[in-house]
Amino acid sequence: MEFWKRIEGIDRRWIYLIVGIAVIVPFLLPIPFPISITPEAQMLYDHIESLPDSVTVMLVFDYYPSTIAECEPMARSALHQFWRKDCKIITLSNIPLGGPSMAETVTREIAPEYNKVYGEDYVNLGYKANYVAVLSGMGTSIRSIFPTDNSGTNLDDIPMMDSVFNYEQVSFIFEVADNATADYWVSIVNAQYGVPMGCGTTAVSAPKYYAFVGSGQFVGLLGGMKGAAEYELLVEKPGNAVIGMGAQSMVHLLIIALVILGNIGFFMLGKHRRRVS
Amino acid sequence: MSGWEIFEVWVIAFFTLSLFSFMYKDNPFYKVAEHIFAGLSAGYYVGLIWESVIVQQLWDPMMGGDWWLVFPGILGFLMFARFFPKVSWVSRTPLAFVMGVTAGIFIISQLHGLVLPQMQATMGVVDDVNGFWDFLLATVVVVGVISTLIYFYFSKEHTGALGVTAKVGIWFIMISFGAHFGYTVMGRVSLLIGRVQFLVEDWVGSFSYIF
Amino acid sequence: MKTSFPVAVAFLTGMALVVSFFFREGTLVGDLSKNLKIWLTIVGGFTLLLGVVSITRVNWAGVKRQKSGWGYKLLTLVSIFVMAIPSILPASWSPLFGRAEGSIYDWLFTYLDSPMMATMFATLAFYIASAAYRAFRARTVESTILLLVATIVMLWRVPMGEAFLNLFPGDLPGFLNAFVMNGANLAVQRGIIIGAALGAASMSLRIILGIERTYMGKG
Repeated sequence: MEFWKRIEGIDRRWIYLIVGIAVIVPFLLPIPFPISITPEAQMLYDHIESLPDSVTVMLVFDYYPSTIAECEPMARSALHQFWRKDCKIITLSNIPLGGPSMAETVTREIAPEYNKVYGEDYVNLGYKANYVAVLSGMGTSIRSIFPTDNSGTNLDDIPMMDSVFNYEQVSFIFEVADNATADYWVSIVNAQYGVPMGCGTTAVSAPKYYAFVGSGQFVGLLGGMKGAAEYELLVEKPGNAVIGMGAQSMVHLLIIALVILGNIGFFMLGKHRRRVS
Repeated sequence: MSGWEIFEVWVIAFFTLSLFSFMYKDNPFYKVAEHIFAGLSAGYYVGLIWESVIVQQLWDPMMGGDWWLVFPGILGFLMFARFFPKVSWVSRTPLAFVMGVTAGIFIISQLHGLVLPQMQATMGVVDDVNGFWDFLLATVVVVGVISTLIYFYFSKEHTGALGVTAKVGIWFIMISFGAHFGYTVMGRVSLLIGRVQFLVEDWVGSFSYIF
Repeated sequence: MKTSFPVAVAFLTGMALVVSFFFREGTLVGDLSKNLKIWLTIVGGFTLLLGVVSITRVNWAGVKRQKSGWGYKLLTLVSIFVMAIPSILPASWSPLFGRAEGSIYDWLFTYLDSPMMATMFATLAFYIASAAYRAFRARTVESTILLLVATIVMLWRVPMGEAFLNLFPGDLPGFLNAFVMNGANLAVQRGIIIGAALGAASMSLRIILGIERTYMGKG
């Protein structure tokens, strides 16, 4: 019983240390396990593959830098898949803290691999405040909300935007989000303008968006780092998400063990207290 | 790796480890990193709004002839009246404008874009039944939606048939929240993995260039 | 007047947006709603600056009175100005100014702000592990269901755990995806979405009709 009492009252910093070790060890001693593809990720990939080549799509960077580990691999993989199909990509962000910067960094890093030129093959619209107005306003006219791109160049001076005026010229919207903006893309853009949408989101939000996949408002869904890993494998560009799955496995098993241990201790001490009283 | 790139990696590592040091206990390194982070985040907004709103949406279009944009500009400046108690009532007008326009968009989008499609999908799930397992799934979905909505209906006491349905709703909700908790754990752990990946691959990797 | 004018503004703008749903662009109402949305993005930008002004005032007050920890508040103020001032200066003066790649603004965001934001959220993993050990107890039937489902989903979502689940007969991961995530979870989330959307729509109606005025504050 002394053992369970000591276990129950253990300093939480020991738990932090064990978690830290559980995350680090798989990077030093990787044990690869096969990563299965969920139907939702497959549906998203298949829909994008079925798009005609060279269409105009939107890739939305609606995530904060805090969730880069989960969301950036999704955005990168999406760029690979879109550019293999020669799609013209419009990027934008509804996140004031870092969204436009991240869109800029990721697109400019991957563009040279496919010989894509800014202004001809992709454009970063940047950020405008109040996403409800932005999403709704772009349905009428993208230029009314974004008169210029992120760096201040008039949209009329950007060759790619010559034939793009509103959602009617956009064939697909890929929303990578870590917050509720995906709800507004669905309720405002998909519902009112009928543009097909897919979503990559953090694991915290993913369970909610199964409802949108079920109703057909999302063609597919990527949930968390596992979803990002699945998508990386589908586009055949394994990256940080695939590498991170080893550590993810280890920490999940650790947390399950902690929950079981904590509950065993709880019941043992409870039984002991009842016996004593 | 160039010298400057090594410096950048070490700057990131220093602040990352400073913030992680809070896990042991509060200390000056953590406090310094935390306050710098708060300041930089606030400063980021200034640059963003200056260029994307004031320059691109107000100044340049107004210089190009769209003089009517001075009105939203004035409304925006009136927001700052909040900081002066004697005239803080002035900020109610721009606030009311924001709330009014947003509410107008919301009424339509919430009903047309969320309620109706979700209800349609719930009713339509029985159309796609093709065998026993599909029938079971359809039943789970329909019963789950109805019992969840009834559980969250608090205008009537949960007794009798309503009480039984609400009880079923709780069981469904516990399953969903259990799944949500599992996903949340995954989400939080992923963020830690991202930082550790940087420390192990980039920061420790830079040692070979230095030592 | 101090209250009735803003209420009238909320009513007129809200009604304009609701009615415009039934009108195309090019009509008077359609063009009005387009312009109102443009105005909203502009006014919305200023609301973001309110937070910056507020944090500056609070920290400046702390520095002026030399309250305990005022050195850290001074650091916050310095960080705000170091980030903000170079970003609003014209990039034509120096490549260090403005917001483009290579500017002070971009460097501070990429190498300080962004990693620190990621690290702040990364610490949550430690807390969730500690909470899992100390607080998640199967005290009732309902909490036991929650914990069991959470455990199985945590196993399913990682390759090692999924390999373990595949040792059992039948397609357990497939069952989890079909009946837990796309079954019970979907149903509950759908119910919550419907309920929350109805609530948001009714709150929007209250705001437009002037019944809900708490956003205006006191006085």
